[in-house]
Amino acid sequence: MIKIQNLYKSFGKIEVLRGINLQVSQGEVVVIIGPSGSGKSTVLRCINKLEKPTSGTILVDDFDIMDKHTDINMVRTEATMVFQHFNLFPHMTVLENITLGPIKVRGMTRAKANELGQALLAKVGLSDKDANFPDQLSGGQKQRVAIARALALQPKAILFDEPTSALDPELVGEVLEVMKQLALEGMTMVVVTHEMGFAKEVADRVVFIDEGVIQVDKPPKEFFTNPDHPRLKDFLVRVVS
Amino acid sequence: MAFNFEPAVIVDSIPQLLKGAELTIYLTVGGLFFGFILGAIFGLMKLSPSWVLRKIAGFYIETIRGTPMLVQAMFLYFGLPMAFGFRLPAMGAGVIVIAVNSGAYIAEIVRGAVQSIDSGQMEAGRSIGLNAIQTMRYIIWPQAFRRMLPPLGNQFIISLKDTSLLMIIGVGELLRTGDEIVAVNFRAFEVYLAVGLIYLTMTMSIAKVLQILEKRMKIEGR
Repeated sequence: MIKIQNLYKSFGKIEVLRGINLQVSQGEVVVIIGPSGSGKSTVLRCINKLEKPTSGTILVDDFDIMDKHTDINMVRTEATMVFQHFNLFPHMTVLENITLGPIKVRGMTRAKANELGQALLAKVGLSDKDANFPDQLSGGQKQRVAIARALALQPKAILFDEPTSALDPELVGEVLEVMKQLALEGMTMVVVTHEMGFAKEVADRVVFIDEGVIQVDKPPKEFFTNPDHPRLKDFLVRVVS
Repeated sequence: MAFNFEPAVIVDSIPQLLKGAELTIYLTVGGLFFGFILGAIFGLMKLSPSWVLRKIAGFYIETIRGTPMLVQAMFLYFGLPMAFGFRLPAMGAGVIVIAVNSGAYIAEIVRGAVQSIDSGQMEAGRSIGLNAIQTMRYIIWPQAFRRMLPPLGNQFIISLKDTSLLMIIGVGELLRTGDEIVAVNFRAFEVYLAVGLIYLTMTMSIAKVLQILEKRMKIEGR
């Protein structure tokens, strides 16, 4: 589904990614963890080319995103994104936020898109909020709308960029619950997060990025019970305490 | 000679002054209509990834902002005919001057407003597959436009007042009309007072309209 080979990314003189290799199969949930500044969000943002890779290969659904002939807008609809700061469109209602993509990108009729939007709102537990505006919602509700918006394109994968990091602690659970549900339904997910509980419980694989390379890539059980990598050990001690 | 305020002079000159005010309104509305289009185009050009487009927009803005509107009007109306052999009608020249002049300032208003929208909005638009133009049209512009309203109102008022400078190229707008009345009756105090009050009425109307528009476009929950 997603295949990253030898990905390098520099911002000016700072080399953030130094040869990332990562594969995500259909239906897999991969959680990426790592210290801040390690480049984990950058990996995610390179997958749908919100950041332009410096070099390397990235295939999304067999489309080479580095190829100039690839329609990147189309690829983005196959791997949509959920952002740390939600980035909902404040001038549109909740329902309009969700239906914009299906209508403008997929060419769906408004009636059809509204139906889809209502169904997705029900799925994230916000059926009664369709006519509200984003600024009238709590952080957890906003992020659930953002997930519905990402789902509305009926993508093959969803990329989550620290989806709970901007939330008050008591709102984290409702968002993780929706994500867990998606995982159970077989959605392909790449999740950058600090929620170790979610990684342990939901991930098929956990990836530890540090200093721009993948240091560890293992199923959660081995990853957490037997961290033999010294940097990971260090990191886990700091995160858990 | 003792000064004698004669309100009757004002009353008598009102019909003629209102005719002048009508031209002032045409100049303002026409000029700002095209000025907004110019401003939107050049403002967005200034944000373009293309170096050439940015430079062209920069040149336009700097040149117009850096020269007096009076000079621009005289150059267009008296200067250019010497080179090209034909003169625009005064009203047409007036509308062009207001449009080109306000366009330069509006371009900066547009650029500032668009730049002030959080970059996450562009990213979110792109992440659901919209292209750059669609994202601008459906997501960035509607939000930026709301932020443009207060400075646009300011510019509209300035441009309306600036139409008075066009008396120099012979447009019979409000100030020139007043001038002509004074030339006949010598009642400068009453006539210019009336002229000023009419300008004030028009600028206050603009402020009011913008205020209503701002309120109606306010985003719920903010």
